Amino acid sequence: MPPEDSSVRTLSCPTCGGTIAMRAAGYTVTLACEYCGTLIDATNPDARIITRYHEMQASLDIPLGTRGTLRGVEWEAIGWLQRTDGWAAWEEYLLFNPYAGYRWLIAQNGRWSLGTMLTAAPQRDGPDYIVAGRRFSPFYSGSTARVTRVAGEFYWRVKVGEEVRATDYVRPGFMLSLEQDDREKSWTVSELLTGREICAAFDVASPPAWLPGMTPLAHQPSPFARRLKEWWPVAALSFMALLVLLTLFGGTMQPQSFSLSVTPDGPSVSQTFGPIELPFGRQAMTVQAMTPNVDQGWVDIDISFVNRRTQDSYDAYALNEHYSGQDSDGYWSEGSPLQTLKIASLPAGTYDLVVDARAHHWGSTGNWGWDASSGTYKTEGLPPVEVILTVARGARFASNFWLAVLLILSPPVLMLILHIMFENARLAQKDGEPADADDWLQGMQAP
Amino acid sequence: MQSVACPTCGAEVTFRSPALPVRVCDYCRTLVVRYSQTAQGMGTAAVLPFDISPIQIGTEGQCFDQSFSIIGRVRWAWEDGAWNEWLMLMADGSHAWLGEAMGQFMALREVELAGSLPQVIRRLMNDTQVRPGESGNIAGHSYEVADVRTVHCIGCEGELPFTAPSGWKALSVDFRNRDGRCASFQKDRHGPSLYVGHYVTLASLQPRNLRPLPGWSLPADAA
Repeated sequence: MPPEDSSVRTLSCPTCGGTIAMRAAGYTVTLACEYCGTLIDATNPDARIITRYHEMQASLDIPLGTRGTLRGVEWEAIGWLQRTDGWAAWEEYLLFNPYAGYRWLIAQNGRWSLGTMLTAAPQRDGPDYIVAGRRFSPFYSGSTARVTRVAGEFYWRVKVGEEVRATDYVRPGFMLSLEQDDREKSWTVSELLTGREICAAFDVASPPAWLPGMTPLAHQPSPFARRLKEWWPVAALSFMALLVLLTLFGGTMQPQSFSLSVTPDGPSVSQTFGPIELPFGRQAMTVQAMTPNVDQGWVDIDISFVNRRTQDSYDAYALNEHYSGQDSDGYWSEGSPLQTLKIASLPAGTYDLVVDARAHHWGSTGNWGWDASSGTYKTEGLPPVEVILTVARGARFASNFWLAVLLILSPPVLMLILHIMFENARLAQKDGEPADADDWLQGMQAP
Repeated sequence: MQSVACPTCGAEVTFRSPALPVRVCDYCRTLVVRYSQTAQGMGTAAVLPFDISPIQIGTEGQCFDQSFSIIGRVRWAWEDGAWNEWLMLMADGSHAWLGEAMGQFMALREVELAGSLPQVIRRLMNDTQVRPGESGNIAGHSYEVADVRTVHCIGCEGELPFTAPSGWKALSVDFRNRDGRCASFQKDRHGPSLYVGHYVTLASLQPRNLRPLPGWSLPADAA
C-alpha cells in the first residue's frame, strides 16, 4: 500500500457540495454531511446518497474534527447525534482513536459523560446489575430513544428517526444503559466527567452548579453528600475543641471570697476589696452574691470592678431577697438568697471590687422606731445580714456554648437539607418502583 | 521460511508460515498458491480500500498465552459495513484470527466441527434459519447468537490458509457470551467452520510494530 500522508479522506457532499471528512475510513458506514444533513453510504465507493436533506448546519459545542485528551487518550470527535426519549433531549458525540476504538461523549443539561460500550454482558443480581464490582440500581425503564439529528460519521447505518428501547441503571457518577432493537443488544457504561476534566479536554462551557429547583441527571452524584461526609470530622473536631476550651478557660478558677455585714434598714455599707488580678486578655468574671441569713427582706448589692490603673468601672447588680410566712395553705417562702452575676469581658489588669450593699426589712416583726432623718418607721435591733461575695475568673456561659454548637452544626444541617432536596429531585425521575431506602443510601455513596 | 517466484510478475514471494498454502503477491496482487515444490497463480486479489486499522502485516504481540505475528488479512463486507480478519501466526506454528470490527477486537481459533454439537450449530450446518438471541452451548460455554449476516470478501493480503477471491460469499454468524467470550460460525462453498475465542483490547495484546497513522501518536506502551 502506498504511504499515506493523512489519515483523513475527504469527499464532496453530493447534495450541497460541501467538503466532508472521513476520519475513520474502513470503520465508517454512514456519513452525515455536517452542512446539510444528507446521509451518505460510506461503504459504497461512489458514496451513494441514502437520504437527501437540506438542513441548516447545526452549531455544535464540539465541532467535528476537534481533538481532546480524556483519561490519557487523545480522542477526535467524528460524529454527533441528537436524541430524545420524548421528554428529555441530549446529544452524543462519537469519539474515535484508531488505537483505542470508539467512545461516546454524552451531553445533557450541560453535563458530560464518557460512555464505553461493554464487550461482556453485566452480571445480574436481583433487580441490580454489577459491572467490574460496581452495583447499578434500576432507574429508567422502557423508554424509547429516538435520533432527531445527525452529523458526521458512524460505524453503523444511522438514520434520523431510528429508535432503540433503552433501560438505564445508575450509581452515583455512573450509568449503565441497555439499548436494544430487534437485531442487537448493547450495554454501555457512562461515567460523569468533572467540569475540570471535560473543559480541559474539549473547550466547552463549565457544567452549571446545582441549585434547588434544577433537575439533576439520574447518575449525578449529590455534591452535598461528599461535603457532608467531609464536614462530620470537622464538626466532631470542633466540638472536641469546644469542650477542651470550656474546661481550660470556661471553668471558674481561683475563687476569692469577701464578706461584709449590713444592718437591715440601716445605712448603706460601702466597702472595697482587692486586689483582684486578671492576668489574661479579656475574660469573664463570675461573682456569687450570697446572703445566707436574709429573712423577710431584701438586700440591694451593687458591685463594680474598678481597674486600678485606668479607673474603668464594670458594674453589676444583685437583689437577694427572702420572704416566708404561714397562711391558710401552710408555710410559704419566696425569693432567693443567692445570685450569680457574670461580667462578660474584663481587660487584663489589677482590679478592686467595690461593693455597695443596703438591706431592707419588710413585715411586721421586729421593733419599729421613727427615723427622723428619713421620715419613716424603721426596724431596730434586727441582726445584721451577712453578704458573702465569691469572685472567680472565667464564666461558663451556657448560651455561648449552645451558640457554638449551633454554628458547628448549621453547615452540615444545611448541607443535609440540600442533599435531601437534590436526591428528591433526582429520584423523582425514577421509573418503576418508587425510590426506597436503598436508593437513598446509594445516593450517599461516593462516585 | 520458503520463497518462490511469483508466477505472474516474477517477484520473490516469501511464505513465513510453513503450513499456509496461499500468499498474495505484494507487487501484482496475484494469489499465489504453493504446492510441494511449485507455485501457481489463482487469480488476482482486489486492492484493499484504505482503512484506518491500527494493525498491519508484521504487527506482533501476545495472545492465547504465546507470541504472535500478523501475516495476512481478509477483509469482509456485508450490506451495513466491513471488517478485517487478521491472520496471526502463533509461536507454536499454528494460526489464529484477530477479528477487528467497530474498533473492537476478537481473538478466535478454529475448532473442529465434530463431536456433540449444539442444536443451533447443527441447524446452521443444515442451512436452517437461525435468529439473533438463540442460544447454544459451544465448547462448554453458553453463547447467544448476536447476528446473522451474508458477507462477501472484498480483498486480502499476505499469507492465508485459503484463497480469498473478491466476491467470495459466506454466511457469517456471530455468537456472544456474557463474560466476553465470542464465537463465529462461517459457511461457504467449501463447507462450515467454527471459531471460538474472546474479546481483547489492543493494549492487552501488548502490540509492537503497530501501523503508524499520520496525525495520530502510537500508544505510549506500543511504540
